[in-house]
Amino acid sequence: VSCCVLTDLLLSNYIISCDQNQNNSQCYQSALKMPGYKLYYFNVRGRGELSRLILHYAGVPFEDFRFEGKDWPAVKPKMPFGQVPVLEVDGEKMLAQSHTIARYLARQHGLAGQNDWEQSQADMYVDCIYDLHGAMRTATWEKDAEKQKELFDKVNQETIQPHLEKVEQHLVKNGGVHLVGQGLTWADIAYYAYFTTPIMTLLGGEVFNKTPHLKKLIETVGNNPNIKKYVETRPVTSG
Amino acid sequence: MPVYKLHYFKNPRQGRAELSRLILSQAGVEFQDIRFSHCEWPAIKPTTPFGHVPILEVDGRVLAQSNTIARYLAKKHGLAGKDEWEQAQADMYADNIHDLLNAVAVPFVEKDPVKKKEMYQHFMKVTIAPHVAAVEKQLKKNNTGYLVGNELTWADLAYYAYFSDFLEVKFGSAFLKGAPRLKSLIDRVKALPNVQKWTAYRDSTYPEDDK
Repeated sequence: VSCCVLTDLLLSNYIISCDQNQNNSQCYQSALKMPGYKLYYFNVRGRGELSRLILHYAGVPFEDFRFEGKDWPAVKPKMPFGQVPVLEVDGEKMLAQSHTIARYLARQHGLAGQNDWEQSQADMYVDCIYDLHGAMRTATWEKDAEKQKELFDKVNQETIQPHLEKVEQHLVKNGGVHLVGQGLTWADIAYYAYFTTPIMTLLGGEVFNKTPHLKKLIETVGNNPNIKKYVETRPVTSG
Repeated sequence: MPVYKLHYFKNPRQGRAELSRLILSQAGVEFQDIRFSHCEWPAIKPTTPFGHVPILEVDGRVLAQSNTIARYLAKKHGLAGKDEWEQAQADMYADNIHDLLNAVAVPFVEKDPVKKKEMYQHFMKVTIAPHVAAVEKQLKKNNTGYLVGNELTWADLAYYAYFSDFLEVKFGSAFLKGAPRLKSLIDRVKALPNVQKWTAYRDSTYPEDDK
């Protein structure tokens, strides 16, 4: 706790998750060595959340620059491809594309996989999540509750359930605990992020009925102290 | 050298496997280019990791997802970027193309020819034109003639595949009028000996897609 107070004083714009075992000077030293990250995204979870979760999990300070829709016209021209999220590093270079940013951060902070093959497997799983986001888009933005449930059930039946069955098979084959290799990767975090979106939380109570290992994996990621602390304190948003 | 088997549909001739074929061809790496018909797909689908293609078999292990396969091959064969920042930039450009492929799929599958034409026009104006302008700006900033760093990466191959081998063929090159650097890049990639060898082989061996 005192470690975080010290670094909060020094880096007042940064949101910090400190490892409670670090003493003050270790925390200060590691905060100074960190690259300066500024993540630009709307004040929603959406396509920015995976990178936020990776950074919080890894205990890496960053400026979580959130803006509302009305401010977008002012931000947009500064972004390399007129889209967000964008990661600005050390105030000088910018990276666009949500999964590229998340992969870069995962690689920088030991969450990408242990070798080329594992890294590719993690990439593959995150690409699957990209496809699931696409499938869920219409349901996510549907305002009518009854229609939303209908749309959700359809996507769940046609796309999510078949996918989860496959993932469960691969997960069990890999030892049942992590999607890739023997440790947590950003792939596990990506599945956690998708399966805890507001629509999933609202309507997806039975989504893991046939996939107990994946259910446990999602719970385990959610129970990580750094993730838990962030999730308890992050802004409550619609998406 | 590992044994690569790339599995994809016969149609489309290029589709989501083409970037990987270009990467392997440019790198001068042999691969088995396995193409199957849509009627064979129901039997093949359950054997894939997630029910989709392309998939890449590497000495018996299987990788899915088109960009993941392309990135893996690019990394293994010197086309991914020289350091982690360059690799991330190449990833970023490949993701741009992935989004554009998804966006063009909508008019591509439209059956009504009048609606289809309208949708393509809208797509070129609202999606392609701003993106071309943004990429031209980045090319100017990088100032090496390449999207990333100072040599060819899979990002340049991805832009060539989409902008030249697909859009230019379909719409002509008017949309590149205000983007001389992007036009120069895709012309240079088109002229690479290994790229020419591959496209000549491909076009003479496999039938063109139905329009």
